[in-house]
Amino acid sequence: MALNVSKNDLASGAMFIAFGAYFVLESTRYEFGTPFRMGPGFMPVVLGAVLVALGLAVAAKGFGKPDDEAPAPWPWRGIALVLGTIVFFAATIRGLGFIPVVLISGFATAMSSTRNSILQALVIAVGLCVLCYAIFVFGLGMLVPMFGPWLNFAGA
Amino acid sequence: MKTVFRTLALGLAASTVLGTAVMAQEYPTQPVTIVVPFAAGGPTDTVTRLVAAAMSEDLGQQVVVQNVGGAGGTLGAGQVAAAPNDGYTLLLHHIGMSTAPSLYASLPFDPLTDFATIGLVTEVPMTVVARKDFEPATLEDLVAYIKENGENITYANAGIGAASQLCGLLIMDALETKMTEVPYQGTGPAMTDLLGGQIDMMCDQTTNTTNQIQAGEIKAYAVTTPERIAVLPDLPTLSEGGLENFNLAIWHGLYAPAGTDPAIIERLTASLQKALADENVGNSFAELGTYPVAADQATPTALTEKLEGQIALWSEVIAAAGVAAQ
Amino acid sequence: MDLLSSLSLGFSVALDPSNILYCFLGVLLGTLVGVLPGIGPTATIAMLLPITFSLNAETALIMLAGIYYGAQYGGSTTAILINLPGESSAAVTAIDGYQMARKGRAGPALAAAALGSFFAGTVATFLLAAFAPPLARAALNFGAPEYFSLIVLGLLVSIALAHGSILKALAMIVLGLLLGMVGQDIYTGTPRFTFGLRELFGGLNFVAVAVGIFGIAEILRNLENEREREVGVKEVKNLWLTREDFRRIIAPVLRGTGIGSILGVLPGGGHILSSFASYSAEKRLSKHPEEFGKGAIEGVAGPESANNAAAQTSFIPLMTLGIPAHPVMALMIGAFILQGITPGPNVINEQPALFWGIIASMWIGNLLLVILNLPLVGLWVKMLSIPYRMLFPAIVLFACIGTFSINQNIYDIYAIAFFGIMGYLLIRFGCEPAPLLLGFVLGPLLEEHLRRAMIISRGDPMIFIERPISATLLALALAAVILAVLPSIRKKRDEVFVEED
Repeated sequence: MALNVSKNDLASGAMFIAFGAYFVLESTRYEFGTPFRMGPGFMPVVLGAVLVALGLAVAAKGFGKPDDEAPAPWPWRGIALVLGTIVFFAATIRGLGFIPVVLISGFATAMSSTRNSILQALVIAVGLCVLCYAIFVFGLGMLVPMFGPWLNFAGA
Repeated sequence: MKTVFRTLALGLAASTVLGTAVMAQEYPTQPVTIVVPFAAGGPTDTVTRLVAAAMSEDLGQQVVVQNVGGAGGTLGAGQVAAAPNDGYTLLLHHIGMSTAPSLYASLPFDPLTDFATIGLVTEVPMTVVARKDFEPATLEDLVAYIKENGENITYANAGIGAASQLCGLLIMDALETKMTEVPYQGTGPAMTDLLGGQIDMMCDQTTNTTNQIQAGEIKAYAVTTPERIAVLPDLPTLSEGGLENFNLAIWHGLYAPAGTDPAIIERLTASLQKALADENVGNSFAELGTYPVAADQATPTALTEKLEGQIALWSEVIAAAGVAAQ
Repeated sequence: MDLLSSLSLGFSVALDPSNILYCFLGVLLGTLVGVLPGIGPTATIAMLLPITFSLNAETALIMLAGIYYGAQYGGSTTAILINLPGESSAAVTAIDGYQMARKGRAGPALAAAALGSFFAGTVATFLLAAFAPPLARAALNFGAPEYFSLIVLGLLVSIALAHGSILKALAMIVLGLLLGMVGQDIYTGTPRFTFGLRELFGGLNFVAVAVGIFGIAEILRNLENEREREVGVKEVKNLWLTREDFRRIIAPVLRGTGIGSILGVLPGGGHILSSFASYSAEKRLSKHPEEFGKGAIEGVAGPESANNAAAQTSFIPLMTLGIPAHPVMALMIGAFILQGITPGPNVINEQPALFWGIIASMWIGNLLLVILNLPLVGLWVKMLSIPYRMLFPAIVLFACIGTFSINQNIYDIYAIAFFGIMGYLLIRFGCEPAPLLLGFVLGPLLEEHLRRAMIISRGDPMIFIERPISATLLALALAAVILAVLPSIRKKRDEVFVEED
C-alpha cells in the first residue's frame, strides 16, 4: 500500500462519522428542549456529536499506522445470498407461507457457501424445512400459514 | 388453455361463495385467534386469556391468544383491521382504541369503520394514589393541595396516551391547574418510584394498587369510577370530592374486522356473554379488582356506543392538553 | 430459626413429586427452546407461559421458574456454540465462550457456565430467603439520579469489554446508545429515526440487533476465506474442566456471584449491568488480561455467575414489592395474576407456602439444570461437528423464524439483514460488537433516567452530586476512567523513554 494509513481505521472512522451525522441531522427535526424538560432531540444530538468526534479521532489515529494484515477477500457471494435470503424471507413469509419460503431460503443460503453443490443445497433445504416445521410449527405452535395467500388457489 | 383457466377460476369462485355460506352455518370450524395488541402477561393479556378459555369451551374450538405488541396497541389493531373478515381473527383492545385517533395522526385504521363490534368485556376502575408520606390526609385536602401547589407536585404516568396519563389530564382539567408530569415505561416502574417516595402521585388501575394500598405502602385518596368499589369500600369517588361527573375506567372491548358476517358476530356475542357469566371468569376478574360487564353491555350496540362516546371525549381532552404522538 | 422453618415449609412444597416433575419439565423445555437461535429467555417464557395456565398456582410458578433458568442456560449455550446471544447478558458470554468453542473448548465453557450459574444461584437463593425484605427496601433508595449515575459507571467500566482499541470501543458504545433511541420517545411520544414505520415505534428489537451483529456478521466473516480453510471446530479437546480450569474459575465465580447479587436487586436496570460488570472486573483483575477476548474461561464463568445471581435476586423486588425488574418479571406478574395472586408486599404473609415454595424451587430448578445440562454438554458439543456449510444455513433460517415468531414483525427480520452487514463491516474494520450491544440496551435507560432526574430536580444538574448514592457512583466512574487511562499514559511515557534511549 502506497499510503501510510490504516484503511481499517479510516473506514470505521468514516462509518462512525456517517452514523453520528445522520443521528444529529435527523434529531435537529425533534424538539431540543430545556435542561428541565429535555426534548426528544436532546440526547441524540449530544451523543451524535460525540460519535462524530470519536469517528474523527479513530480516523486520525489511523494515520501513520498501516494495517498489519492484508485485508481478507470480500465474500460477495455470501453477502448477496445471505442478506438477500433474509430480506426475501421478510418480504414473503406473510405472502408465500412457511414451506415455500423456508425451502427457497434454505437453498439460497446453502448456495452462498462454495463448498455446497446444488444437490447438497437442495438436500439441506429440504432437511431444514422438515426440521423448522417440526420445531416451530409442530413444537411451538407458531401461527403462520403453511402456504400463504399468494399461493392460495385451491383453498379459499 | 384460456378456457381451462376460466373454468378453473369459475370453479374456484363458486367454491369460495359456497365455502362462505357453509362457514357461517358451522362457524367455527377451525381455531379462532384473538389478537391482544400488548405483550403477554399485561393486564389486557390476562383479561383476554381468561375470556378466551371460557369462549373456547362454548365455541367448541380452541381460542388462541396472540400477542402483537407495539406502538401503543396500534400495531395489533392495524393487523386485525387488515385481516380477513371471516371471524377467525378477532381483537381485544382496551380504552386505547378510543384515544388512538387523537394521539396518532397517521393511524392505519379507523376504529369506527374498520371494525365490527362484538361487545364490552370489562371495566377496570382506577385509583388515585400517592407516596405514603404525602401531606394531604383526605381527598378534600388533596384537592386543595393540588390547587395550591400545582407544578410543584410530580405526577407519574405510564407514557403518552396511557390510562394513567389520561386520568391525570382529567384531574388537572377539572382542577384547572397543572402538575409536573413524569412519564415512565409502564406503571410498574412508576409504582417503584412511588413506593420509594421519589415522586408524589399517580393514578393506576386497582389491579396494581389494591395490594399496595391494603399493605399501607402507598396512600390512596379516591377511585375514578362514579360509584365506590367493593374491594376498597372506604375510598370515596372523585365526584364525591367535587370533581363532578368524573368517570374513568379502563374498558375492554372485543372486535372483529369490519364486514364480518352478522351471523358470526351474533354467535361471538352470545359466546362472549356466556364467558362473562362463567363463575370462574367472574372470580378471576374479582381477584383483579374488576368485574365482567352485564350481559346487556356485552353487545355490539353497547360497545359501539362506548367507543363513539369515548372517541369524542378523548379527542377533546387530548387536544386541550396539547398531547399528540404524531 | 424463623428462616429455617420458612425454608422447610418451602422445600416441603417444592419437593412434592409433581412439582419436581413440572420443575424438571420447565427446565427441559426452557433449555430446548432457549437454545434456538434468536429466541432468548423473554421470548421463551412468553411462548411457554400458556402451558402453565392449566396448572395450580404453586406448580405453575415453579414450572415457570424452571423455564426461566432453562431458557437462560439455553441462551448461553447458543452464545457459546454459534455466537448468537439471545439477550444482553449472553452477549458477554459470547465474547470468550465462542472463542473457546472455536478452539475446541466448548465443553469446558458450557460446564463452567453451568457450574458457575449453579453456585451463584445457590448463594442468591439463600440471600433471597434471608434478606429479601430489607434488600428490597434498600433498593427503593435508588431513584432516577442514582440509576443514571449507575449506568454511566457501567458504561465507562465496560470499555474493558473490548480487547482492541479503546477509542473504537467508546465509539461503538455511543453508536449503541444512539441505536437504542430509535422508536417512540416515552416522554413526548415523538417517533425518532423510524423512517415513518409504525413497526419501529417500539424501537429496534434486541434479538434482531444481536443476531445480526453477532451471528450473521460472524457467518459472513467465515465465508471470507472458506476456499482456503475449513471453518468450524477441528477437534474437541476435552468435555470437562481440567484442574487448571477449576483453579481459574473459582475466584471469578465468587466475584461474579457478589456483583450479580447486588445489581440484581435494583429494579431499574441493575441486572443488565451484572454480566458486563463482572466481565470488566475479571479482565481488570486478571494476571493475563491479554487472554480475554481470545477464549479466557474466566470471561465465561464470571459473567455467567453474575447473570444467574442477578436473575435470582431480581425476584426480590418482584416478590416483596410486586415490582417487575425486567420483561421476564413482567411476564411472571402476569402469571401470578392469572393464578389469582396479586403480587405485592402481602404475598409473603398471605401466601407463605407459595412464597417459600417458589424460593425453594428456584434452588431445585438450578440443581435440575445442572443435572440435566452436564450430560447434554456432550450432545451440544457434538453439534459443532456438523460441517459448517450445513450449519450456517440452519443458523440463518432459525434466526429468521425465531425472530419472526416473537412479534410477527417482518421489520425485525429486515433489521437482522441491516445489522448483519453493518456488524460485518465494523468487525472487519477492527471494532468489536459487544460494547455496541451494551450501549444499545443501556441507551434508553440512560436517557430515561437522565431526563426524569432533571424533571424531578426541576432542571438542576446538582441533583447528581447532592444525592450521596449518586455522588458515590459518579466518583467511582471517575476513578474507573482514571484507572483505564493511566496504564496507557504510562505506556506512552515508557514508549517515549524507549525512543529517547
